[in-house]
Amino acid sequence: MHRRRFLQLSSIASAALAAPPILRAARAADDTITVAAPVPMSGAFAANGKYGSMGTAMAVADAGSMLGKKLSYLEIDTEGRPATAVRKIQEAMEQKKVQLFAGGILSSSALAMGEEVNKHHGVFFTTAGADEITGSKCNKSTFRWSVPTYGAINETVRPLIEKMPKAKRWYTITPKYVFGEGLLNAAKDVFKEKGVELVGNSYHSLDEKEFSGYITNAVAAQPDVLLILNFGSQSSATLRQAVNFGLKSKMTILLAWASGLEQFEELGADVSDGIYFGAQYWHQIDSPFNKQLVAEVKKEKGINPNYSFAGAYLMAKLLADGAKKAGSADGPAVIKALEGMEYDGLTGKETIRAADHQVIKNYYLLKGKAKAAMKDKDDYADIISSGQSFLSPQDAKCKMT
Amino acid sequence: MIYLFQLMNGIGLGMLYFLLAVGLSVIFGLLHFVNFAHGAFYLLGAYLCYALLQYGVGFWGALVLAAIIVAAIAAVVETGLLKRIYRLDHMYHIVATIGLALMIQEIVIIVWGPVGSSVPAPKALTGAIMLGHFIYPEYRLFVIGFTAVLAAILWWVLEGTRLGAVVRAGSESTDMVSLLGYDINRINTAVFALGAGLAGLAGALAAPIRGVDPFMGVEALAVAFVVVVIGGMGSYTGALIAGLLVGIVQSLMTTLWPAGASLAIYIAMVLVVLVMPRGLLGRA
Amino acid sequence: MDRPIFHFALAVLVALLLPFFIRSGTLATEVLVFAIAAAGCNLLLGYTGLLSFGQGIFFGLGSYTLGLALIHTTLPLLPTLVLAMIVGSVVAIVIGALSIRRQGVYFVMLTLAFAQLFYFLAYTFSDITGGDNGLIGIPRRGIGPLALNSSWSYYGFVAVIFLISFAALQRIATSTFGRTLLAIRYNGERAQAIGFPVRAFKIAAFAVSGAVTGLAGALHALLIGIAPLSDIDYHTSESILVMTIIGGTGNLFGSVLGAAFYVIVSDTLSAIWPRWLLLLGALLVVLALYVQKGIWGVIESAARAVRGRRGGPSAMKADSAGSQR
Repeated sequence: MHRRRFLQLSSIASAALAAPPILRAARAADDTITVAAPVPMSGAFAANGKYGSMGTAMAVADAGSMLGKKLSYLEIDTEGRPATAVRKIQEAMEQKKVQLFAGGILSSSALAMGEEVNKHHGVFFTTAGADEITGSKCNKSTFRWSVPTYGAINETVRPLIEKMPKAKRWYTITPKYVFGEGLLNAAKDVFKEKGVELVGNSYHSLDEKEFSGYITNAVAAQPDVLLILNFGSQSSATLRQAVNFGLKSKMTILLAWASGLEQFEELGADVSDGIYFGAQYWHQIDSPFNKQLVAEVKKEKGINPNYSFAGAYLMAKLLADGAKKAGSADGPAVIKALEGMEYDGLTGKETIRAADHQVIKNYYLLKGKAKAAMKDKDDYADIISSGQSFLSPQDAKCKMT
Repeated sequence: MIYLFQLMNGIGLGMLYFLLAVGLSVIFGLLHFVNFAHGAFYLLGAYLCYALLQYGVGFWGALVLAAIIVAAIAAVVETGLLKRIYRLDHMYHIVATIGLALMIQEIVIIVWGPVGSSVPAPKALTGAIMLGHFIYPEYRLFVIGFTAVLAAILWWVLEGTRLGAVVRAGSESTDMVSLLGYDINRINTAVFALGAGLAGLAGALAAPIRGVDPFMGVEALAVAFVVVVIGGMGSYTGALIAGLLVGIVQSLMTTLWPAGASLAIYIAMVLVVLVMPRGLLGRA
Repeated sequence: MDRPIFHFALAVLVALLLPFFIRSGTLATEVLVFAIAAAGCNLLLGYTGLLSFGQGIFFGLGSYTLGLALIHTTLPLLPTLVLAMIVGSVVAIVIGALSIRRQGVYFVMLTLAFAQLFYFLAYTFSDITGGDNGLIGIPRRGIGPLALNSSWSYYGFVAVIFLISFAALQRIATSTFGRTLLAIRYNGERAQAIGFPVRAFKIAAFAVSGAVTGLAGALHALLIGIAPLSDIDYHTSESILVMTIIGGTGNLFGSVLGAAFYVIVSDTLSAIWPRWLLLLGALLVVLALYVQKGIWGVIESAARAVRGRRGGPSAMKADSAGSQR
């Protein structure tokens, strides 16, 4: 009985080792063009990855075919780790000859993936936030749809200051790393210009989950506005704890870099009510393309598209459109076609700036609504203002070779 | 003045860390078992509390039920799985519990999805009270009080009851305990379930403060290890003192050197293990 | 089944056959990189009985060393790899010397604490390490006229280094030094009583392990062109340990199998089901319960069953499966 079990186990083991080529028999045939979605499907960011993948898949399905070839979609699980992401991109480009990528939700993975795609002359469209992506580390292959720190701050802090001219004292909570510094510096510039006093700043580490100490510091400084500059689950934690500490009644709170619908669902209306949020996308945006997308997603999936979904959808569509315009799915050709392209995007008219491959689009200031005021289960916030603010490619330090 | 406040806040954090870590410490003390799935029990407790609240169970009920269910699951895991590997090298304990933790995490994602959620505090405790210039959420005060009471009860169980005496004796010598007529297997299961249940309770208590998400188990495990090592493996008092210490250091650091909070804690962990062989108060 | 030369032949076989089973040069290289790391871990675990959660430290430092050297200096590739080995070794000596002051679980916890410490150090000193972003844009320099740009040419290069490292580790493991390590593992007090400088031997084991793991880290950074923060995080330490245990701590070739299994299976599963970690977790539980000798143990038993032999030299071998504490 031991022998049999061991023989069974060893045959399973050798089958497992031999399995990869069998399982990988799904190699890209020559009559398909593949758009890959390298997103975190497992690991801490699985929530974003799931919708990013769905969005890309739907865009590919909608495009159907082009240039006489079928458009197919490939999901790549980056596991939220840059090392895995880069390795799988390498594989996809070499084995499956994939040239078009829409994904990269985490900045660290996106930067690494962009480099790798650039090495092999593909196209990589991302929504990651780090300034360097279209700034100091810009490259020919990388395109970015989301608005980086300068725009995020200018389209939230500025309108809020203008809305509340008497609120002269602001306190910031900042994650101590490059991205956080970027947001803080952009904010400081606006403060200086508008005569607002930064009464204090609390730095915290990227792993921090316990913000009670920082919130206490903030309260002690007696600001008019609390500006939260972290993001993701940290921003949710900060916000939850700030609300628990009763800050809502003492000051205005602005979360400059929010994730949109996913975050509202996680927080719940009781927390988000009365809070200002900065957002890259909101499903209620009144633009023809967005209305069309929302209707389609509602019909097919029964949900409203969130930021991960919508961004992924648009990026995949842009890749397909770029290929169509170029008449080829070859990396360099698609890149040329995309540069300078103007189109009807999710936020209205959008442009892909040729010098740094940054998409010029709106960033939104939202305000959370009370549960009683919500017209449907996703009506968490109203759009207060929007606009386009971008550094010039030179100021962003992009030198595209 | 702000330091005084950070101190109090640190105590609040520390009590939760104690609750999380004491189970791990006791499990190690009796079973000599390093439980890498401890964070997963914390995770389960938090999600069960959330789910029960969704179903309309009152807060107190959700709290107690979550802890009991986690303890029950832990008992099943212990008898069905872990019992068979106690006699093996530590390496296999670690591998098995890492595997278990992964499974629990992924099952949580399958059931509740990968997105986290806020968990509302009970209506009676949603306010914040003024302490001088400072505000402090009522719920956190409740947590301090509740865990203090729990700590006292636990102390009484360990020091004052027969079960506690057996547990303490068992960590000195399991043979002795068997010779005295106690079924060491049942005691092991009970202790493991208790330890896990406490972790689950910590998770349920923490849920209104930090929400729930499937990856909260990983961070909980890291904290639990730090507290247990600093306090001494197997020591109740060690877990209490170390828990408070870690909580207070973490809280004070936010004013002194925020980026260095985690660093300081791990440096402390290394120093303690090197300088004090059994932690502050531990047994081998 | 037990002779080192046979195991080395198997290692050569693996290096030659991988390209036929795996179509991706990158994945194949990653298998060998982690095979080196797992073998290094096994020297500590299977041979010296030290369960170190700190392998990620050496891996990550090797990775950063190569990254910094190739980005900021003109140091050629081979000396850079040697430098990574030196860095890994030196740090391992320090950490080893400190960690072995404690035994058993406390030793494990200490290495875990060091691992976390180094992770936070790497994150904090972001000017050097690139922090959360890591070091990107590591050029893949060739050696003299030999270019390593294509993934299969790099695989060939790594395969050669793998075989050299494997052979070196084997020499060490089968030498008097290696056998002393085994003696220390089985009964450290007795070894001490006989007069062996147990501490020195353990530190030496750390030194070798650190060098080899640093080399693996450097090769990994060169493979993916970045030195990410994740190479020094807890998950890397944990993965390397898991690979070593899955393969079977009995001998070094087991580690190669463990690495191959882990890397290939996670890659395959992650393409099929986002919740693949559930399966991995289940696998680990099953392994701890039923297959303690790991993959090598399975193969060994199968071979034994086929040959109809019982017991034999393998009973004396260094393996920890099912051993009474």
